[in-house]
Amino acid sequence: MVDLTRAQESPAFPAVARPTVAWGRPKPGFFGLLLLSVTVFYIFLPMIAVFLYGLATTWTNHVTPDGYTLAHWRDSLADGRFRVVLGRSLALAIGTAVLDLLLVTPAVYWQRVRNPRIRPVIEILAAIPFSVPYAVIAFGLLPLSGTYAPSLQGTLWLLLPAHAAVAFSFAYWAIDSSMAASNVVGLSEAARTCGANVATTLTRVILPNIMPGLASGAVLAFGVSFNEVALVQILCGNRFETVPLYTLNLLKSTDADFNSLAVMTGITFAITLVLSVLVVSLNKGRAAAGGTTDAKGAPA
Amino acid sequence: MSTITIEHVSKRYGDKLALDDVSLNVHSGELIALLGSSGCGKTTLLRAIAGLIDPSAGRILFDGRDVTAVPTRMRPIGMVFQSYSLFPNMTVRQNIAFPLKVRGQSTAAIARRVDELLALIGLGEWADRHPSQLSGGQQQRTALARALAPDPAVLLLDEPLSALDAVVRLHLRDEIRRIQQSIRTTALLVTHDQSEALAVADRVVVMRQGRIEQLATPASLYETPTTAFSASFIGNRNALNLPVRDGRIRLCGTIEIATALTTPRALVFVRSEDVRRSNDASGQAATIENRIFEGSTTRFYLTIPTDDGPLHVKADWPSRETDELRSGDTINVVIDPRDAHVFPG
Amino acid sequence: MSHHAQATGSGRYTAAARTLSIGERAKALFVDWSLALPLIVMASLLLIAPALSMVWSSFAGEDGHFTLANWAKTFSSAASQHAMENSLLLAATVATLSTLFGTPLSWMISRMARWSRSFHLGILNVAANFSGIGLGFAYVAALGTYGMVTLAFQNVGLGFTGLPQSSFTGLVLAYCYSNVPLFVLLSLPVMSLLRDEWWEAAQTSAATRWQFWRYIGAPVLMPFILADWLLIFTWSAGMYGLPVALVGEKPGAFRLVTVEMYRSLYGSFFGDHRMPVYAVLLMCLAAVSLLTNRWIMRRGTRWLT
Repeated sequence: MVDLTRAQESPAFPAVARPTVAWGRPKPGFFGLLLLSVTVFYIFLPMIAVFLYGLATTWTNHVTPDGYTLAHWRDSLADGRFRVVLGRSLALAIGTAVLDLLLVTPAVYWQRVRNPRIRPVIEILAAIPFSVPYAVIAFGLLPLSGTYAPSLQGTLWLLLPAHAAVAFSFAYWAIDSSMAASNVVGLSEAARTCGANVATTLTRVILPNIMPGLASGAVLAFGVSFNEVALVQILCGNRFETVPLYTLNLLKSTDADFNSLAVMTGITFAITLVLSVLVVSLNKGRAAAGGTTDAKGAPA
Repeated sequence: MSTITIEHVSKRYGDKLALDDVSLNVHSGELIALLGSSGCGKTTLLRAIAGLIDPSAGRILFDGRDVTAVPTRMRPIGMVFQSYSLFPNMTVRQNIAFPLKVRGQSTAAIARRVDELLALIGLGEWADRHPSQLSGGQQQRTALARALAPDPAVLLLDEPLSALDAVVRLHLRDEIRRIQQSIRTTALLVTHDQSEALAVADRVVVMRQGRIEQLATPASLYETPTTAFSASFIGNRNALNLPVRDGRIRLCGTIEIATALTTPRALVFVRSEDVRRSNDASGQAATIENRIFEGSTTRFYLTIPTDDGPLHVKADWPSRETDELRSGDTINVVIDPRDAHVFPG
Repeated sequence: MSHHAQATGSGRYTAAARTLSIGERAKALFVDWSLALPLIVMASLLLIAPALSMVWSSFAGEDGHFTLANWAKTFSSAASQHAMENSLLLAATVATLSTLFGTPLSWMISRMARWSRSFHLGILNVAANFSGIGLGFAYVAALGTYGMVTLAFQNVGLGFTGLPQSSFTGLVLAYCYSNVPLFVLLSLPVMSLLRDEWWEAAQTSAATRWQFWRYIGAPVLMPFILADWLLIFTWSAGMYGLPVALVGEKPGAFRLVTVEMYRSLYGSFFGDHRMPVYAVLLMCLAAVSLLTNRWIMRRGTRWLT
């Protein structure tokens, strides 16, 4: 998942007064509109194809299917393997999101209010999953776990932390920028001068203020885990079939059932869409906040 | 240098009227200050003259030629922006040379003109720095030089000093005046600072809610504001809301002003330096509520008891002559009715 | 805000450490790092350790001793050379196309009104994240032999039989699906560096739109665009799910480094020794790209702050 929070932040400038009246924005020209529509069309095209395949009776040689039916959706959702796979993926993604929140939130809070030296360490770690392919991490973990923790091999107890590790950077940027935006240092100091202890400060002051950041961090981590295939395939293989792995296996099988594939892909897409809408709406009203450090410090 | 004629210009944003039928004549070589609080339309007017926005109605003429439909880059203008708007990838020299370069001038001509301008603004030794390496004042000088480079007929200054600190602001203010006078270009300066407007302008346009409230020279604006808004905006004035009885306003005690007003109440403006101490028993007794030392003058907050209740007045007096006065003291003050400006209340 | 807080934070930390005994100092050090420790330990174990283990494997022979044989064999094999060349070529093509299409898109979106920007960002965000196996299938469903577009072309009488999904062109088209949107999302913050006032100042200096882009827009944005090109390049070279879905085990198909790594999972006769070498190569690419990216960003923002 790509972190939209950073995409929406405009790097701050030396404080200069900005015009208060909207002077009107430049409108995209003809070629701009053309490029924009072609892009939107190109993005929607495969999605439409997937959607139609999921509803098609047969589809031989026309632009649209020969007939429509809900049978594939009904059959797929009734299929035991399909349901297990979907439930497993959702559980894994939720687990990843929760684990990341539990690990990242205290670390970011501590880095901001107590020890700024934590920041460079976490930033280096956060840069790894952005640039090193997950497959490389997976292939590296395979022999390591074989040597030091053979009992974990092929189990959820290796996969879940691995997903949390590659997804944490997304949660990190979301939570860090929301802590910057809501000025947790100032809030903590203000709460202390009001006589609040650490626990009260956290639960009554800090958490409510960074809730949008936590939510979008969780959504991002969820998305990474739900769409991830390299770690799942390499660390667990078919012992732990998730949605992407199931899709891949179907796609690879000689008698690929396009309709059933379309249903699974449609569900994946719908979940991605919901997550994106969530991220965009969670970040509404924070566009101007955040500050330069986030934009510049981001590795990607 | 050229004259600017603004004829019935309006600008509408949605249902908000940013400029409401503004007409104005700027003489050749004159510096006019557009003065008003934020949102009064002064910047909108300047941007309309620059062509950065299109007026919803009306015409703008340079030397009698209608430029309303002429794009910004074809207008004979130079503009200085509030936030400098220097191009960050260019040095001081390149920034100043830019308007000449895009006009296709020869390298030698550009170099000559840039050196001239560097001397004029005194940034010769900084010529090869980037804007981020300059102080705010130096950046604004560079912006001024860039605006002046093509020898524009009209110089437009949009709050050029508001992002600077007080000392630099005063210095640069006087320098803008010096440079404008030495090259005699027609200039418009937008500002919300009355002292800036009074100091540099030949004439001042006071704007309010998209309209011109008053157009006058700095001295006459200061001495004889023609509207209550001008009076409240220019100078440190006491605004006293008093009843009118039988064509007379009783300021306090024996001090009365004759007026032709028929409204039940009047707004009386008296500058704080026009509230004077009287050395004898004449005048009104006033109690000092508070005193604020401001350097050469000290501000006194006074309460004068009247039949209509206590009157709160502020007065500015030279600090050296008022050393002995303390809060709680009672003194005598006089106000000359000729120093009061009366408007309907 | 945060800089100030950082200064006082570290000041307090060093001042306290100087006057304390070793035991107390260790305790203070522990408290300073405590809440971040779980994250740091876990991320190090799961991100840094595997990377180091790959480096070690790439230099380890079958007997566990240090050897350069893996590297030598990989680089001397024609198939491996092909895979590496193809991966770099594909990544460079995708990054270049993403930059060419993404930059104007990003510029337009940065200048849009709020709701319209949210709408387009939402769509791009979906596309950027819909990059794995699902996209692989969706791509086949649209452009494959029985894909919707293929059928549409055939219906209007064009002899289009679908893009071979494992061809270079096919892969480029599929990669661009998520990488053009990704480029837009990455470059969007940079677009706000280009301030509207500069365009106004250029206009009052008599510059045309072309002159504005030539002298101001392009020089200011160029370093950041290059940095984003580099990130897309690295990202594309390391993409795994999509090429595995599109190319997979098809014999004689287009060779890519990540696909070769996938194949090594299932058949040792492909040569297990190559896989760690590939992994280390991708890691080096990532490291170089990341460092260059940071360096360019620092240089690029130097003018601006």
